[in-house]
Amino acid sequence: MPQIEVKELSKTFRVPEREGGFMASVRSIFKRRYKEVRAVDSVSFNVEAGEIVGFLGPNGAGKTTTLKMLSGLLHPTTGEARVMGHTPWKRESDYLQRISMLMGQRSQLHWDLPAMDSFIVHGAVYGIPKPEYQKTLDELVELLDIGGVLKKQVRSLSLGERMKCEICVSLLHRPAVLFLDEPTIGVDVQMQARIREFIRKYNKERGATIILTSHYMADVTALCRRIIVIDHGHILFDGSLSELSRKLAPFKVIKIDLDRDLNGYDLASLGEVLTLEPRKAVIRVAKDEAARATSQLLTDLAVLDLTIEDPPIEDVISRVFGGAKTE
Amino acid sequence: MTRVLRALGAHLRAHLAIMFQYRGEVLLWSVWGIVNPAVLYVMWSSAAGSNPSQEIAGYDRAAFAAYYLMMMVVGHLTTAWDVYQMGFFVRSGVLSPQLLEPVLPMWRSVAENATYKVVTLMFTVPAWIVFALFVSPEFKTSGWEIAAGLVATVLGSILAYLLGYAISLIAFWAPKLDALGEVYFGLGMFLGGRFAPIPALPPIVGAVAKVLPFRWMYEFPCELLVGGRVSAADAAFGLLAQVGWLIATFVLFRVLWAAGLKQYTAVSG
Repeated sequence: MPQIEVKELSKTFRVPEREGGFMASVRSIFKRRYKEVRAVDSVSFNVEAGEIVGFLGPNGAGKTTTLKMLSGLLHPTTGEARVMGHTPWKRESDYLQRISMLMGQRSQLHWDLPAMDSFIVHGAVYGIPKPEYQKTLDELVELLDIGGVLKKQVRSLSLGERMKCEICVSLLHRPAVLFLDEPTIGVDVQMQARIREFIRKYNKERGATIILTSHYMADVTALCRRIIVIDHGHILFDGSLSELSRKLAPFKVIKIDLDRDLNGYDLASLGEVLTLEPRKAVIRVAKDEAARATSQLLTDLAVLDLTIEDPPIEDVISRVFGGAKTE
Repeated sequence: MTRVLRALGAHLRAHLAIMFQYRGEVLLWSVWGIVNPAVLYVMWSSAAGSNPSQEIAGYDRAAFAAYYLMMMVVGHLTTAWDVYQMGFFVRSGVLSPQLLEPVLPMWRSVAENATYKVVTLMFTVPAWIVFALFVSPEFKTSGWEIAAGLVATVLGSILAYLLGYAISLIAFWAPKLDALGEVYFGLGMFLGGRFAPIPALPPIVGAVAKVLPFRWMYEFPCELLVGGRVSAADAAFGLLAQVGWLIATFVLFRVLWAAGLKQYTAVSG
């Protein structure tokens, strides 16, 4: 039985809108205009226990709204969801006790106190037995390498240090289901890698189910075997990364190594030339043209090595979303 | 319940640490809580002194002194500020992480409120004593009035907190509540007898005050503690009125909480 079951889940927000400028603001005193925004539109999917699923999509696609509904923060407009047998928005204590939602842009820590004080409060709120609390804390402090910052006031921490403390506090009660919304936002590349490694380890050791949203493709490709691509509230794709490339990429990438220089050979007639050196080239060709282009390259040139690959996932996603950020 | 008590204890300790950090700010707030009734005492006792009868609505200088001294104590114990705070919590998204915890966010606020009231006693108690020495209040309090007054103060304090919190939940629909906070505070001042004892105000104000909760939060416990102003029957009625308002406010809180959560849009992250 899936640990997370989502069926036809939708969320519509009613948001005020007006034109810019002074007169528009005066008009809005008398007549306020609202717009219905369908942030999530009949989304259905299941997640098995222990899976890590990546939610991909541009800003405003509906990723965070879906996570907020699954964590119980938002009531859906229509649809159903069950997480570990609970309806999230009923917000039963037993449910909230077993989940965690890390919002990269929202702090769970007491801003004015050292992070350690927030951990202690968290331990009490979640009723974590003292030995278990201490053991988990020691593990997390070591894994996240935050021993040196525990006594510093949270507001004086760097973003990376704070994010690691946020992750620590989110995991102290050992949640079985984790919703991670932009867990690496704003931190440097090295720190992103460490956080990713930590999430992978937590999933492996605890068997936790994780749904992750991120703008950083590297987060998703490093952690998730399965991804759900969402845009304008709709699921565009649900499957493995390789399947995504196969299904959504309309092109292949051909890499060639040559025995002799190209000598002005017209590669552009076969496809888009991505890189070009005297004896090496990478070209992108339409998927249904790949076989013909390969055959022609092998006929015309002294090919030492030739590979045909799916394009990098970043390119695929960029094209799907028309240039959405995929760092 | 064990979970709530544990959480309450932890939040109390955390808020205690925050208040010690901002001790200057905390001191100024408690000064404000003393200055307000002190100024009103000066105004009304002067007015009483300039009256030929040396009193207003049965209050002479010494009676006003006792009344405002008790109002300082009751005002301190009934203070609550969620109606000012919740709008910011909703607008800025601060409420979201609190809602993800397995304990109601209200308990966090209860802990903050209780911590403030206890910590600031170290400033306010000496100030009350100095004020009392300075203004020579006259108390006529009997034993039963002290007992009833203490119960009424506790009930009034819970009622003031819960009503303030329930009203703060309007932030789920209208997340900027600063003006509402001022209106609510103003009504409490006027119709709760904090600005002046209600008998000193026009009869229509007294009639309106009777059917609203403010009087039962502030003036009623205060009058019991001053003594000689409330009959035993009126005291019993007053205590029942407090319990009635508490039940009604609790129902209001539950309804607004359930409806507010459905309305919540979890903006800002």
